[in-house]
Amino acid sequence: MTAAAPKPAKPVRKKDLMSRIPAGFVRAVLRGHSSLGLAFAALIYLICLSGSIAVFAHEFQRWESATAPQLTGASPDAVQTAFEGAIAAGGPGVEHVYITLPTNDFPRLLLYVDADKDRQFVAGADGRIAQGNDFAWTEFITRLHINLHLPRTWGGFLVGLIGVALLSSLISGILAHPRIFRDAFHLRLGGSRRLQEADFHNRLGVWALPFHILISLSGAFLGLTTIIVGVLGMAMFNGDVNKVYALFIPAPPVDDPRPAPVLDLRPMYAKLPQDGGRLTYIFTEHPTETGGAALFNVEQPDRMAGVDSYAFRRDATIYNSDKASENNLGEDLLGGMGQLHFGWFGGGIVRIVYFLLGLGLTYLAASGVNIWLARRRDKGRPAPGWERAWAATVWGQPAGLAAAAVAGLASASTSVAIGAWLAVGILFLLAAIRLSATSLSRFGCLATGALTLLAVAVHLILRGGLAAADPMAWIVNAVLLAGGLLLLLRKNRGAAAPAQGPHTQPA
Amino acid sequence: MEDTPALLPALLIAAAAGAGAWLLRRSWQGKQQQTGPVVAGWLLILAAIIAPAWVLGPARGPFVALAIVSTAALAVVAAGYTIRQAKARAARESLAPEPSDRTTTKGRETLRWLLAGPIGMIAAMGVGIAWAALVPGEQQTRLVVGGLIVPVAWGACMAWTLADNRILRATAVLTGVALVSFTAAILKGFA
Repeated sequence: MTAAAPKPAKPVRKKDLMSRIPAGFVRAVLRGHSSLGLAFAALIYLICLSGSIAVFAHEFQRWESATAPQLTGASPDAVQTAFEGAIAAGGPGVEHVYITLPTNDFPRLLLYVDADKDRQFVAGADGRIAQGNDFAWTEFITRLHINLHLPRTWGGFLVGLIGVALLSSLISGILAHPRIFRDAFHLRLGGSRRLQEADFHNRLGVWALPFHILISLSGAFLGLTTIIVGVLGMAMFNGDVNKVYALFIPAPPVDDPRPAPVLDLRPMYAKLPQDGGRLTYIFTEHPTETGGAALFNVEQPDRMAGVDSYAFRRDATIYNSDKASENNLGEDLLGGMGQLHFGWFGGGIVRIVYFLLGLGLTYLAASGVNIWLARRRDKGRPAPGWERAWAATVWGQPAGLAAAAVAGLASASTSVAIGAWLAVGILFLLAAIRLSATSLSRFGCLATGALTLLAVAVHLILRGGLAAADPMAWIVNAVLLAGGLLLLLRKNRGAAAPAQGPHTQPA
Repeated sequence: MEDTPALLPALLIAAAAGAGAWLLRRSWQGKQQQTGPVVAGWLLILAAIIAPAWVLGPARGPFVALAIVSTAALAVVAAGYTIRQAKARAARESLAPEPSDRTTTKGRETLRWLLAGPIGMIAAMGVGIAWAALVPGEQQTRLVVGGLIVPVAWGACMAWTLADNRILRATAVLTGVALVSFTAAILKGFA
């Protein structure tokens, strides 16, 4: 009999930094991550989903105004004609007129009149006011993302709070992930649904982390601006918040409310420097008063943050000018925050990537709850009520958004779009009382697909049909058609092979 | 003049970042830790983020790249998916960390959420405003950076207070931070 030879020692692999985090700490952080995610999951999901769609706000505006004139540029004379036409059509009490000039991304001359009743117009190449100014769906989806259709201050604060919760979830998610490097490329499909969802959740969370941080931080900042400025004003400017804003925006013109003819923008045009910049926006203040003024924004190529701005008095003398190239860091950060948040700085490719990564973030919110539900089921403590409620939320929202698109197109009213979205959302929650999570998911998928196809049909019937002047309308319709069909086919496939456990992830 | 089109640079960014991510995958999934491919992988990813600054603009380029790099890395992850064997399931399951089951009371949970919510917000605002008041530099920069600190600090407060079992310690720290920061900011004033 021979003594057993000692086993050769295994090579010791050095532990990476994250693997050295104590298990107790990981479990405590995971508890916090779980609590926070569950508390805010529905709102995070809704805001991420609406934000992903709002990335294409300009494309949707073009889609909705498919019959409106397409412009590659607008002459000063045309802008002046449109400006005067919009004021005449805007009704009494005109305070401001915002003029968006045509660009490659948005080939429209768009005028927003802030009067007793706010109105929006598009204009043709000759400046005459034209048809095609109903943006109910775009207004619906952007306002849903920015303030959840609540009063602006409170809605903005709530969205900012959700941004903070998301940022906090990212922090705790990373700290609760000791195998972050070892598992960085593991994507294991099949087997337990919980583990598959966890793999998707963790890989998306880790590799898209820079995007997630940018989005949640900029979103929280934009949402909380009002309250931060308010507290800052109270603490350091004796309650005068205007002193804070005055550091970033030019002083308003001297008020003189005596009536006057409509501002003439043409001599102001003539005084703009010819330095390769592109005039994108004109903001006019009290255009029918003696104290009227106009602010011209000129974008410089490849500059993400800020614009050159030139503020004119009625007599076309400049009373304030700011060059973006002379911005300090703070002005650059503030100027670029909105573009960075919505992905409006790198053309179509960046918007598509933002949409995909945004959907990934939406999935992150949905899968977090799915994992929690599946864990409960695995441990013999299923929560069927919550499974149904979550399935109703996850699928009720896309169906509600698609219903809002149909209603917005058909009625040209944002209020009707809001009503349709609320009605469908509530219907799904009511259905959750009786239907199982699996049935709700299948029905939601089917409803979203069908309503998306219906939106295309309504668009073709009411917004230009086959004669739509803007090719973007065709692209949007084609994508919606493909998306709708995909959802319907996915439903059929799901019916053939029922999934195990809660089946609530979005497409 | 229009912005430089981002499509072609985006493809180059995706190729470089994809190659970098592939090198990292090859190294991390191997039995032996290989320093060379890891360094090369990270360098490629870093270059893919920095180099576009010269083509697409100093801020625009890197931000375009950040979005593309994440997508390219996720494509590498997706390309390497495996089908899990049912047999291995139980063993793998035991490795996943579970959230702690701490015993708690209604009062402590209420305090915990107050700390994560309003008290954390006040402390975070104190830190942001103190930054704006006390740190040297341009007024606008101090204000915007201070404003950006608020969500980061508040988010960190949330993560900490919802995880920490010692709730009274968190209460003391957050209250102290709020008092000290607001007092310092108000005493110094904004100039």
